[in-house]
Amino acid sequence: MPAPLRVVHYVNQFFGGIGGEDQAHVGVSAREGAVGPGRLLERALGDGARVEATIVCGDNFASEREADASRAIGAELDRLKPDVLVAGPAFGSGRYGLACALACRVAQSRGIAAITAMHPENPGASSARRGIYIVPSGAATTSMQAVLDALAPLARRLGRRETLGPSEVEGYMPRGARRVHDRGQPGYQRALDMLLAKLQGRPYRSEVPYAPPERVAPAPPIADLARARIAMVTTGGLVRKGNPDRQVSANAVRYHRHTVAELESLSPAEWEAYHAGYFNHLVNSNPNYILPLSFLRDLERQGRVGRVHEHIYALPGVSTPVAVSAGHGRGIAADLKAAGVDGALLVAT
Amino acid sequence: MISAIYNFALTTGANRVIRGARIEHVCGDPTLSPEKDYAFGMRIVTTALQTLTIAVPGPTLFDPMASGKEAAHAS
Repeated sequence: MPAPLRVVHYVNQFFGGIGGEDQAHVGVSAREGAVGPGRLLERALGDGARVEATIVCGDNFASEREADASRAIGAELDRLKPDVLVAGPAFGSGRYGLACALACRVAQSRGIAAITAMHPENPGASSARRGIYIVPSGAATTSMQAVLDALAPLARRLGRRETLGPSEVEGYMPRGARRVHDRGQPGYQRALDMLLAKLQGRPYRSEVPYAPPERVAPAPPIADLARARIAMVTTGGLVRKGNPDRQVSANAVRYHRHTVAELESLSPAEWEAYHAGYFNHLVNSNPNYILPLSFLRDLERQGRVGRVHEHIYALPGVSTPVAVSAGHGRGIAADLKAAGVDGALLVAT
Repeated sequence: MISAIYNFALTTGANRVIRGARIEHVCGDPTLSPEKDYAFGMRIVTTALQTLTIAVPGPTLFDPMASGKEAAHAS
């Protein structure tokens, strides 16, 4: 008769029975046994498993004081030493989802298996998906029983130190981990099978996931260009000569902001391109090719453009993942919006 | 967005796409005389600025060298 599985359940202030939003600031506490949905969890886990304790933490505390919450949760786990931590389910609640992800990370850092559940669009799933097990759930708590039924068997296996199989087989969200295994058929055969299925209108599953590009609504037009503040951005890897800011030549981890307030044009004596994706020499002779300052200044002088914004933004676009690029775009856009920029020209190489 | 690889810009969802000259010299052409190079670059830039003043339904291509300025829709 194997030793009973020792489970610790992490919940927020609401599911822990402390209170609602008004109690979201409470810190970490632990109670013996299962609380609230923990009782359903215990039942779903079945014989030989016990929810030894429930760690409760306010959602605001967990998101605003992450380090303190981490420490406190860690201390409880050190004391309780469970076989597995189950956090949530958080469903669609963003802060709760982030807190559940945090609790799982804390557990894992101590060598304790952990699993949580939430809606795939929960911020806790996107930022922390890598490395933790998340069972997808609906957005509403009405699916509580179904989620626990899906989560409980995985929690048991993780608690017994079992390795779970691929995400699409076991029913958790892909963690971004790749494991080498034999699919049983050579690639050309799998490809032909897939192609036949596609041609015949039968369902097939791509081995390489395809994410279609995001559709963004076009910004409304500028009423009067002659009164507009226009900014320039380039992915052509424009740098100050000598690259003192140490911009990388590909896979931009950050973007660079420069001031051109005093400049009429980009001079090859002061600027150049550092970008691994195209032949940089022509831009080195005339940097305005990828950031058209000389033209904008001309138009500004003629009154055809209101103001040339004093900041320009540059980065090397090549080999930068879409998700990372989107982050840079959001950062630049926030800057431009805060500065009252009306429109921007983005020159891409 | 001003880009020489305009099809790529359209299919990845950029809404106002202006055809640039070449990847290595997007706003101009160093094989032309300095005056013609500058005029070409200016034409590209002014076309781009003009697109900011009109509404577009979705990814739309504007060709500075085409007679009607707007070459094609991609949606």
